[in-house]
Amino acid sequence: MAVHSWIDILKSSKKTALIQDGKRKIHYLFTDGKEMAEEFDLKTDELIVRKWRHKSTLGAQGQWQVEVGEPLTAPVASLDSVIKENCSNPSFMRKDTKTSFQWRIRNLPYPKDVFSVSVDPSERCIIIKTSNKKYYKKFGIPDLDRCQLPLDSSALSFTHANNTLIVSYKKPKEILTIEQELLKELKKLKGTGEGDVDCRTQ
Amino acid sequence: MATTKVPEVRDITRIERIGAHSHIRGLGLDDALEPRQVSQGMVGQLASRRAAGVILEMIKDGHIAGRAVLIAGQPGTGKTAIAMGIAQSLGPDTPFTALAGSEIFSLEMSKTEALSQAFRKAIGVRIKEETEIIEGEVVEIQIDRPATGTGAKVGKLTLKTTEMETIYDLGNKMIDSLSKEKVQAGDVITIDKATGKISKLGRSFTRARDYDAMGAQTQFVQCPEGELQKRKEVVHTVSLHEIDVINSRTQGFLALFSGDTGEIKSEVREQINAKVCEWREEGKAEIIPGVLFIDEVHMLDMECFSFLNRALESDLSPVLIMATNRGITRIRGTNYQSPHGIPIDLLDRLLIIATSPYTEKETRQILKIRCEEEDVELSEEAHTVLTRIGMETSLRYAIQLISTAGLVCRKRKGTEVQVEDIKRVYSLFLDEARSSQYMKEYQDSFLFHETQTASMDTSQ
Repeated sequence: MAVHSWIDILKSSKKTALIQDGKRKIHYLFTDGKEMAEEFDLKTDELIVRKWRHKSTLGAQGQWQVEVGEPLTAPVASLDSVIKENCSNPSFMRKDTKTSFQWRIRNLPYPKDVFSVSVDPSERCIIIKTSNKKYYKKFGIPDLDRCQLPLDSSALSFTHANNTLIVSYKKPKEILTIEQELLKELKKLKGTGEGDVDCRTQ
Repeated sequence: MATTKVPEVRDITRIERIGAHSHIRGLGLDDALEPRQVSQGMVGQLASRRAAGVILEMIKDGHIAGRAVLIAGQPGTGKTAIAMGIAQSLGPDTPFTALAGSEIFSLEMSKTEALSQAFRKAIGVRIKEETEIIEGEVVEIQIDRPATGTGAKVGKLTLKTTEMETIYDLGNKMIDSLSKEKVQAGDVITIDKATGKISKLGRSFTRARDYDAMGAQTQFVQCPEGELQKRKEVVHTVSLHEIDVINSRTQGFLALFSGDTGEIKSEVREQINAKVCEWREEGKAEIIPGVLFIDEVHMLDMECFSFLNRALESDLSPVLIMATNRGITRIRGTNYQSPHGIPIDLLDRLLIIATSPYTEKETRQILKIRCEEEDVELSEEAHTVLTRIGMETSLRYAIQLISTAGLVCRKRKGTEVQVEDIKRVYSLFLDEARSSQYMKEYQDSFLFHETQTASMDTSQ
């Protein structure tokens, strides 16, 4: 089944673990050349960061794409950089809890009744709309896509406070079991301590 | 009262310099490949232009790999001009790489590596790649210029779709290109996020009732829907060499220190060849064989020639065009004599196009074209005199006299170059024959003249 195939891909990938700054950092290298990096809190075992890196069609090394966690900021925003979003725009990020996937969109100073959040099962995505036509976002849940699980509109809820819209989607049973299993597996990996380590996957 | 100087807004359009072959715009052939006497900057050389036209068709067809052509003829008979003509008629999408024979001799790179890089620069791959674009209707552009006139400009651009609105910060380059494209509120534009390329799609329908002065060609389009940022597939052409470079870079922090690529390992090349063939079979990519032009090909040595023999056999090889002005001479790196200084086995693989010296009428015509290109007006008599000089000395010398005579004419505040101006520069600057004559007469008073008596080897 699809749920198992994702677990198998994870298991067959080359993994390197590192414990640093109270975080368990794991780097995965998959057989198709893709790379994934995850960071877990050591105490609570919560996922803090998950990011991906692909090679472009021509073979150039791509940039890290953040799936979960704080978006990466450019080292120094150069003056001549072509175009970028103004800092007053809404910023979108995903931050999961133990039981649900959760997205936070900051900088949205509108009342709660402006927003409508819905599931589009045919396109496998969640859509956030605003009645004042200021914000619109369409996003998928890669975790469910990887395991080929259906989207369920009853699992979806949202709140609004402090200029932040929080959208939650309850994790289905299958995801919870996978995460438990994976965490056990990762704890078995010998995490090297502080300092430099030879990364086997690079 | 002190006035602050407002700096002029510099034009972004590039001013092109006039080169030796900038008047060439094509081969000057009609649809049946018949050469016109004077067309697209080309004059005379009918047979060789017709031959070049046939080669051009073969290149455009793109099926035949690894053919080589040699353009041979005396100095100043338009060999490079024909090659440039081919490059111009191929258009910007077909790769055309030009190099001079002596360019490949470098201490940093072996000769064969330089040649293989040149070969691979001449093969293009058209491939689809995903890029991120921003597509929306312009709500507002706000550009703040600092009051002092100098320093960075700050700009903000507000874009919207039917569903959302976003404010963007603009870099200096972006501000320039927005003002160059004359983007204003109400336009629907796309911006390539990586390169910053802007394209205007048209004006939004909601602005259709504005009483604006607008051209008949103004197109009205719907305001885009959904999110502002989209992923889109674009087709672009890269050369095999560029793919080599991308894949041969040292990864990790070492990449910071390795600016140049140096030599590319043959394994990398093989991998890329295999990958490109795979893409072609899957229909993801298309191979566009281009042209490699080697001027002064007699400067290559024996090793290079044998490498060329081998390289031409590969099915990923471009059409090779070479030009030389040598007769029977020593092949560089050996003691053997051969026509054009090229070994017989390579000559055997070549199609040879010969150029012949220009007639008086053609010389006159070429001088006229160059005068137009260099923006110099010539009186009828001066033109005749210059043609005469061109016939007796060389075409290149006559062309050089155009701009110098033009300057002399401007100094005496004339508008049209007269015979006197030509005479004056003719006396100021020696041509090759007069210079040698002068040398023969005054040899004794020059330095090192004794050693010169052992005749210099001019075959190379």
